[in-house]
Amino acid sequence: MKIEEKLSLLNYKTDRSYAHITIDPDICATCPDHFCVFACPANCYTLINGKLNFKYEDCVECGTCDIACSHGSVKWTLPKGDNGVIYKYG
Amino acid sequence: MSEFDVIVIGAGPAGSSAAIKLAQGGMNVLLVERGDPPGTKNVSGAVLWGDELSKVVPDWERSAPIERYVTRKEVAFLTEKSKIAISYSSQDLMERKSGKIIVRGKFDQWLARKAKDAGAMLVTGITIDKLVIDGGKVIGVMQDGDVITSDAVIVAEGANPRVLINSGLRPKLSDHDVALGIKETIKLPENVINERFNVDSKGGYASEFVLGFLDDGILSGGFLYTNRDTVSLGIVASLDRLRANGMTHSYDIMGKFEEHPFIKNLIKDGIPDEYAAHLVPEGGLASMPKLYGNGYLVTGDAAMFTFSNGMVLQGINYAITSGILAAETILENKGKISEETLSNYVNKLRNSYVLSDLYTFNGIQNVTWSDFTQKTMPKILDSVMMSMFDERGMPKKHLMQVLSAAVKSNGMKYTELISSGYRMMRKM
Repeated sequence: MKIEEKLSLLNYKTDRSYAHITIDPDICATCPDHFCVFACPANCYTLINGKLNFKYEDCVECGTCDIACSHGSVKWTLPKGDNGVIYKYG
Repeated sequence: MSEFDVIVIGAGPAGSSAAIKLAQGGMNVLLVERGDPPGTKNVSGAVLWGDELSKVVPDWERSAPIERYVTRKEVAFLTEKSKIAISYSSQDLMERKSGKIIVRGKFDQWLARKAKDAGAMLVTGITIDKLVIDGGKVIGVMQDGDVITSDAVIVAEGANPRVLINSGLRPKLSDHDVALGIKETIKLPENVINERFNVDSKGGYASEFVLGFLDDGILSGGFLYTNRDTVSLGIVASLDRLRANGMTHSYDIMGKFEEHPFIKNLIKDGIPDEYAAHLVPEGGLASMPKLYGNGYLVTGDAAMFTFSNGMVLQGINYAITSGILAAETILENKGKISEETLSNYVNKLRNSYVLSDLYTFNGIQNVTWSDFTQKTMPKILDSVMMSMFDERGMPKKHLMQVLSAAVKSNGMKYTELISSGYRMMRKM
């Protein structure tokens, strides 16, 4: 099963007005490792033609990318209120 | 005058246990949880070991959503083509009911309801940003710009401690503090689970795995627990090694685990129903934040209270006990909350298994997260087993000679094996 299919099993309440994680594209453009791409279990970070692409909508709020990024690009907060992933089993 | 005696951040096992104890002691408690309902943000194996909860909810097992009791416990090394396991089945273990296999989505919701029943005010779908500190004292919490005041705060926010970080009460987490857990919940009919795992309807199978087959320096453990009609399958991977590797996706480690021939068989025809990921405290004492301050106490995963010696993984019991001890500390110091009075929390933790275990097993990470344990051991054991069971019509050798040959063929010296093995046994 591909990661995209696994992620499609999840339910979210997505906050369209607030991205709880943001990145600084200027820092990412010169990043030597892009470890976020490999660390994130929800495939939120991808490289498209060498450029880092980030989407917060699939985030499961684990906090891994905040640890992974050693270059100060990732700004990590929790979603507001009850937004974000909704686990059934957890 | 504060709005509440105590605010508890997080309705997981630590927070809800604390809230129950406080409410039972007559305190005006606010239990705040960002998941709505509680449990929807939490991820865990999960096996709850022991009976700590009976201290706040007598007869808790009667109403708690327990999936199965652990009656078959395994610890297994997986190499690319083999599995070497210690398997323990016991009717005594069944009678003792020591390991309860639970689904946290159901369990946390149940326990939070117990807190509400005990008299705590439960508010869900609310995310706390940070503690409010005034003149060196914690006077409440901040939520979306609003301040809610209390005489004391119990931080039970879990493995990703944003409140502590945002409040300047602990540094950001690093690769050495936590590992990455990834988990899948897979549907299988109850009778299939019973037959496949050789358990009855109440009995359950719980296994930890060393994923010795992983290449390129990746270190990861695995787990499989049988729920009533689902199976929890997951990995716990070292972030440090994932970073050093630099070319493996974390989710592909999970993929390799579930595709391993001896795991694939166990989940055959299962229907994946959920994918989840969560940080797992692994750093022990070295990663622990300050456990108390003027007006606050830290419990459970937020305090890094977990135990893992490779044979068993525990955390929920440590969470419950630390939550209860934090509540006790506050109850005993009602009206005189200060850094000094709350410091007694640490004494209570030291006198319990929570901090005792962390001190006794200080440095265990160097054994469990080592190439020796995760790569060399499985390979040597595989060679030994193969030599013993692959009959080739040749004169047989003594076990020591077989072991010696296995050690040599894996590029290790016998003396290294003995010293590493001794170190491992001492630490475990």
